[in-house]
Amino acid sequence: MLDTVFSIERANGTYAIPDEIDAGQLREECLARASIYRLLAGVFVEEPSRELLAALRDEALLGRLSEAGVRFAPDFLASGLDELAETLACEYATLFASSGGFPPVESVRLTGRFKQEPNFKVSQIYREAGFTLNKGRFEVFADQLGVELLFVAELLERCAAALGADQSVEYRRLEKDIKRFWTQHLGLWVRGYCRLIGRASNHSFFREMAKFLGGFAEEEIAAMGLKRLEDIDMGRVVVPKSEIKVEFNPDEPVCGGCPPATDKPAGGVHKLHDLRF
Amino acid sequence: MEMPKVTRRTFLKVSAGSGAAAAAAPRLLTAMENDLGGKDFGPVSGAERKAIPVNCHVCNIQDGAIAYVENDRVVKLEGNPEHVSTRGRLCAKGNSGMWYSYDPDRILYPLKRVGARGEGKWKRITWDEALAELTEKLDAALKEDPNTIMLKYGRNRTGGSIDRFMKTLGSATVVNHTSVCESSKKIGMEPTWGPDIETPDFANAKYVLNFGSNVLEASYFHNPLSQRVTEGRVDNQMKIVTFDVRLSNTAGFSDEWIPVFPATDGAVALAIGHVILREDLQDSDFINNWTNVTVAELKEHYKQYTPEWAAKISGVPVATIERIAREFATTKPATLFTYRGPAKHLYGSYNEKACMMLPIMTGNVEKKGGYCLPRGMGWPQPMPEPGKPAHDSVLAHPPEYPLAAHKVSHLVPFWIAEGRQKINVYFTYQDNPVYTNPGSMAVWGKLFKDEKLIPYLVSMSPFMGEETALADLILPDCPYLERWEPESMPNSLWPWLGIRQPVHKSLGESRENRVLLRDIIHNLDPDGKRGMKQFWDFKDGEDYMRHHFDNVPGLKEAGGLDFLKKHGVWPIYGKLDPKTGKVSDKTGREIKADYGLYLKELSAADMAGATVDGKGIISKNGKAIGVRREGKNCVGFPTGNRLINVRVDQWADYGFNPMPTFKRIPWHEAMKEDELILSTFKLNVHKQSRTAAVKWLAEIAHSNPAWMNPETAAKLGVKTGDLVRVESAVGHLVTKAYVTEGIHPKVVSIPTGFGHWEYGRLATLKLKDKKGEYSHGADDPDLNNVWWDDKGVHPNNIIPVVADPIGGSQGWYDTVVKVTKAGPNDKYGDSEGNWEKHVAAYKETMRYAYTGDLHRKMHPEMAAWAGPDSVKHKAGGGH
Repeated sequence: MLDTVFSIERANGTYAIPDEIDAGQLREECLARASIYRLLAGVFVEEPSRELLAALRDEALLGRLSEAGVRFAPDFLASGLDELAETLACEYATLFASSGGFPPVESVRLTGRFKQEPNFKVSQIYREAGFTLNKGRFEVFADQLGVELLFVAELLERCAAALGADQSVEYRRLEKDIKRFWTQHLGLWVRGYCRLIGRASNHSFFREMAKFLGGFAEEEIAAMGLKRLEDIDMGRVVVPKSEIKVEFNPDEPVCGGCPPATDKPAGGVHKLHDLRF
Repeated sequence: MEMPKVTRRTFLKVSAGSGAAAAAAPRLLTAMENDLGGKDFGPVSGAERKAIPVNCHVCNIQDGAIAYVENDRVVKLEGNPEHVSTRGRLCAKGNSGMWYSYDPDRILYPLKRVGARGEGKWKRITWDEALAELTEKLDAALKEDPNTIMLKYGRNRTGGSIDRFMKTLGSATVVNHTSVCESSKKIGMEPTWGPDIETPDFANAKYVLNFGSNVLEASYFHNPLSQRVTEGRVDNQMKIVTFDVRLSNTAGFSDEWIPVFPATDGAVALAIGHVILREDLQDSDFINNWTNVTVAELKEHYKQYTPEWAAKISGVPVATIERIAREFATTKPATLFTYRGPAKHLYGSYNEKACMMLPIMTGNVEKKGGYCLPRGMGWPQPMPEPGKPAHDSVLAHPPEYPLAAHKVSHLVPFWIAEGRQKINVYFTYQDNPVYTNPGSMAVWGKLFKDEKLIPYLVSMSPFMGEETALADLILPDCPYLERWEPESMPNSLWPWLGIRQPVHKSLGESRENRVLLRDIIHNLDPDGKRGMKQFWDFKDGEDYMRHHFDNVPGLKEAGGLDFLKKHGVWPIYGKLDPKTGKVSDKTGREIKADYGLYLKELSAADMAGATVDGKGIISKNGKAIGVRREGKNCVGFPTGNRLINVRVDQWADYGFNPMPTFKRIPWHEAMKEDELILSTFKLNVHKQSRTAAVKWLAEIAHSNPAWMNPETAAKLGVKTGDLVRVESAVGHLVTKAYVTEGIHPKVVSIPTGFGHWEYGRLATLKLKDKKGEYSHGADDPDLNNVWWDDKGVHPNNIIPVVADPIGGSQGWYDTVVKVTKAGPNDKYGDSEGNWEKHVAAYKETMRYAYTGDLHRKMHPEMAAWAGPDSVKHKAGGGH
């Protein structure tokens, strides 16, 4: 991970817009990417609105999404918009906004708690980039998935503006900021998290959009040349006990039902006192 | 210059003679841990962290704490060295408090139920939507009858705003949780000497009788009192004798652990009293001057409670009772402490009364090292205040329990099911009876799932506990590190006022309770025309606190709320001595407590217009204000007659024995050879319901096998780790056995606080594997190092309701069970109760109420009582 960060730094000052890519084309690509980020942010930042759903059910867009591998089931396509919005609001709450769910929040995914280091780090990044986080329909954390995606969208739009104004230095700076943000934040958790939501969702909308985000993330990471970017989240359902680092034998009975004296304890583990509970 | 050759041998020789010189050298560096707190530094930045004093509220001891904050994030909690009671120390629970703020299962937005109750399907809604829906429901309920709006609270430390809210609505249907807590202890004490608890001066005592308290691990007031117990034991060579069915850590720290048969502590205490009076070891002056009985009356009354009688009931040998009686009466100063052991039984109030008689008859009351009154402080309420509701509520004040001033909340589901009072809107605050009450899911779960009985259930909670999971609307409350609350707790001999204050911005859209309640009222009465809004005219929590604290004499001069914001507590009695860990004055000596509060003299102004009767009772305006003794006008005790009421006449009005007595539990007498009594207890890292989701604590203790004596286990052929089936009259559970000598042979004991089926990923350890039901953070990164997969078994489903007919308290430790080896169809974690059987248990316990048919049978000594029709229903005693 550090190598990746340093690789950005090493590139400092030597980067140039490749000759074979037209600045106008690059600008269009930035805007296109920004649009995808905004779309995905709209899906995850709060319950999808009726307007967003209507736009997503546009035939042309559905066709293009289908080409990208996103295939919604009838639960998304067949119901009325109001009913769909209501259904997805409930699914959103179950998946993302109530106890026992999977908050789409980097602090939770990487540290197991709300509002930890990632929250403060991204807040600082937003501040340094000149952004403030406003309340939408609900107040969300700075390291919420939708907000992080929106941030990249904003930077990409700035990239496009820089390219339009022929400010290549500014463009390069912004592009590095995006890479750094992916390296330090989105890249660490989004891929595994998308796999998890892809499995956990009851509704094809969130399942397919999570898959789409996961695929998009892989593509972005590859396109930006971010190598050895660790997927810390991994989105696994059960972590094998063999991977759990403990000072005790995790298979030891917890009720004091210790093995007979003749049994040897597992190697290298410290047995707890019988009366520890 | 040639350097001397220093070998290891030579320098060791030099070292041997260098002590004085080394000691004389200046010491410029001290180990950080020698500093007794108040400051903290970031290990990376080295910068001093922001320190914000608060009162801890993981449990209810109210320890003084300091939250260290970096970047609006709590990174550490530790004790507040300026707090006179807890003196810079926090227990494990207190150190873990920030887990509540950042719990990934925390509810951050209003949630509206969209599936069946308890199905777990929710929709996030805005506050405006939530308040609009709630307003509609409340409006309809108010039109029908304000009392159809019910609020039941658990750990309510709002300082009055819950009561203000319900009074604003005009509803008297406010029910607390105290009957599952310690209410019979309170009712045993209040009519006798006024307050509901004692403050034993452990640090200065020479002898302690401990009946059923595990103060080194739990109970009121664990942290501050365990410090003083340790000081007394170590510095003062205090002797401790503990009566308990279980070898708790407190019993283990004692000089003697005496396992008593459950529910017989009162008999032992009476027999100890018998020996003291028989051998004339009592303090006659104190009894004659400060109680409402004479020594002669007391001696006559206690004749019946012989050690032989108590030994037969309790299993404590006669010689032991006699020896302890003599030791207690002749060792000065001595004190006594009780908690749930004596009180949580059918006649818990009698047991408590019997215990507190011992320091009274030996004159150890309000003496250094003795049995002292609690010290606390009050605060004014914001004005104006709403008046009392127009009509009383049968659920809050059931006529069958007129003496139960702390209510009988655990019988409420049955009364609602019987249709004794209609409920339209049910609010719950910091409560979780579906888990914590007898019958738990089988009783309260059944109630809350019935939408006819509870049409609309509103939970004000930050967490999805077992009760909140059944709600129709969840309003996200704040955990304690985000709230403003006034505090005072009599947890040492020095009274204090304190605050909780937000140490960081509340997460998501959670709102602290008083603000949430204000918003409800403002929605109900937006223009003030309904007369409600006037009682909720404050800007925010801090503004509300200013109403409480800015005009308290003494504190006002010190700076009022601003002082408390800076220090967390007032007054500051001295400085914590890093060498002794005690609070010292400017001279370096430990501060001294005031004793003999009842001897404080009334002022001339107090005495103006007062009269003194033949017994020395000083009255003014028809009210006793003190007692004249030896020419001094003393304030006396805070009872109606300013004396200690050994004889509680009010009890006799309802056919209860007004004098210290003991009633054996009938079904204990009828136990079969193969039956045991089920008791429960708390561990030092858990409280009843809300700590299982705190990872640091869950890692320490997460399972709760049933303690069994080897003698009992041998009869059953059970060894540690074997599965056993524990069956009561209302249900059964399957758990593991833990065989230990540290339990009475007739008792099986299971710790509480485990076996959650809600309360988040750590409490439940749910690992759902069906597609679409991934839940409870099965893949949560923080569960990566959760090495345990045993969450324990919850015992409350199989515990039937029992209500003390005097104090109203739940008889937690009265359940008769049969324990067997688990059968082929039993599996670990089974825990089932049956509603119909719980109803039968409820009907049975009502027979012991003063209106019930068993009351007279249990009180043959009260044959002269004219029966329930002879008494007018009066308000209960206590406060």
